[in-house]
Amino acid sequence: MSFRRFLIKRTAIAAVLTLVAVSIIFATLRLLPSDPFSGLVASGSLTPEQVAELRAMYGLDEPIYVQYLKYVRNLFTLQFGVSLTQQRPVGEIIVPALVNTLVLLLPALVVTAVISSIAGMYAGWTRGSRFEQAGIVVTTFFRATPVFVTGIFLLIVFAYGLGWLPAFGMRSPMANPEGYAQTYLSVDFLRHYILPFSATVLFYSGDFLMLARNSVVERKGSEFLMLHRAKGLSEMEQLARAGRNSLLPLVTYFALRTGMLFQGVITLEVVFAWPGIGRALVQAILNQDYPTVQAAVFIMALAVIVMNLTADVAYAKLDPTVEAGDV
Amino acid sequence: MSGYSIDTETARDRLRNEFDRARRTLAVVWQDTGAKVGLLTLAGFVFIGIFGPLLAPHHPIEDTLRRGGAMMRLSSPSPKAPLGTTSFGKDVLSQFLAGARPTLIIGLFGGVGTGVLGFLVGLTSGYFGGRVDELLMRLTDLTFALPLLPMSLVILSFVTPNVWLITAVLVLFLWKMPARVIRSEVMTVKERTFVKSARARGAGHLRTMFLHVTPNVLGIGFLYTAYAVGWSIVAGASLAFLGFGDPTTTSWGRMLEQVFRSGAMRVAWWWVLPPAIGIAAVTTAVFLVGRAFEEIVNPELRSEQE
Repeated sequence: MSFRRFLIKRTAIAAVLTLVAVSIIFATLRLLPSDPFSGLVASGSLTPEQVAELRAMYGLDEPIYVQYLKYVRNLFTLQFGVSLTQQRPVGEIIVPALVNTLVLLLPALVVTAVISSIAGMYAGWTRGSRFEQAGIVVTTFFRATPVFVTGIFLLIVFAYGLGWLPAFGMRSPMANPEGYAQTYLSVDFLRHYILPFSATVLFYSGDFLMLARNSVVERKGSEFLMLHRAKGLSEMEQLARAGRNSLLPLVTYFALRTGMLFQGVITLEVVFAWPGIGRALVQAILNQDYPTVQAAVFIMALAVIVMNLTADVAYAKLDPTVEAGDV
Repeated sequence: MSGYSIDTETARDRLRNEFDRARRTLAVVWQDTGAKVGLLTLAGFVFIGIFGPLLAPHHPIEDTLRRGGAMMRLSSPSPKAPLGTTSFGKDVLSQFLAGARPTLIIGLFGGVGTGVLGFLVGLTSGYFGGRVDELLMRLTDLTFALPLLPMSLVILSFVTPNVWLITAVLVLFLWKMPARVIRSEVMTVKERTFVKSARARGAGHLRTMFLHVTPNVLGIGFLYTAYAVGWSIVAGASLAFLGFGDPTTTSWGRMLEQVFRSGAMRVAWWWVLPPAIGIAAVTTAVFLVGRAFEEIVNPELRSEQE
């Protein structure tokens, strides 16, 4: 199979998957017994006329298949509708939350990927050393422990115990920044950033470390390294060459991790009250705000599908020994 | 192992071989310090999970501790409550002891369910290949695309969660992991001569799958079952922490939810640390044992050391 055909097939599968995933989300939310609007009337926050208006806006008075088609069309044009509890477009809620999550997680993921891959390669090279043993036990601890528990430990030590850092939110209540630059480039933001950032880095470090270590261990005995040794390259030069050969699984793993980013750290955002998409989702579920729920779950699913596709393609493209037909 | 039809004698032999192998494996795992600590931790955890509620000095939810006429709210550790009390005057030690059981149930049954289901899907998919494989793998792709935590939250928001339901939901979303790995292992095993000769001698599909292919991928199956125990515990605790746990029982995740929600986390370290350390210790133990076991199952990793 040529690379082009492989690419087309993979993309088509990804598109179909998105559609099926979206349909399952639709069906799951329609199966909910309670009408999201009835509660609003009962609580007096909306008049019956407003509810009728809302129903028309969502097309809830229309047959189910029309609702479904409109739902799918709206998702693909990124029209997520209006929030039931906040009376404003879901996009206005989701997009800033998404930005906040990305600002927290992407740098954390990149930092982890670089540092713990290098540490892992070194650990694999010095197999049996103290560094390797300690590295494995420490990163296994942070990988295994749920991220919110790590977060709680950090909070107890650095926020409540020592009082060095704030425990809550993304900026102090008095700060009133305007624009992205003021929001994300201030000392106040940095102080709120350190703990959730550290928790994320610690959480993800184990996978990259073990992956890098394992692939160096697997390659250590291989012939091309013996050749390098015979050529008189130093230990570090040999490691650099073994490491270069271990990059492929790390790159694809990085793509997969990025796809799962939003869902993996929902509890982290809750524990640090970080105003990201995970926390928005939990609040929307608790408030039965289904348009917001739909949008958030859709974005999380789409991220996974797109990044899986990227990983597959990167793998086929970067590794010449992989026959695209096998993938 | 060969493809000859199996009488009771050879079946017994094979079973003995498997037991021998399991014993040797355990002996090797036991040499790893981390795994040894992990196994001991797990033994302690299982003990608390089974006997904890009996050992608890008070009922974790019903009993309210009082000193004189006043409820003991947020009392630090004292002889009456060795691990202090919650804001509702409940004994933290009792909650800790009773809270191990739901964690144990979700971990054990979620893990084993995930392992078994994933193993069967991977075995079927890898063994038959072709359309069966295509169908099952697209299904796993789909469960990969449906994010675990958000989907479980949505499902659990419209039913009353209980421990067994949560376990079932987790299995529904976790089986994909072992399925993929088992599938790729099965695909290499089924090309080996003994499998082909078994087929040529007229062994049926089921027989070939379970008697000839399975023993060679069982190790990986166990490894992923062990990891699945860890994933289930993490996911179960996360759900409980977000307020979607079984509301009728005490679990470690729920204890953390309550101390977080009540705002007492700032002061009541005695209420936070037992469940937090409990969860961290158990999941770390599971993964440490898994890591040591992985060195045995994955022959490429032991190249030099043996």
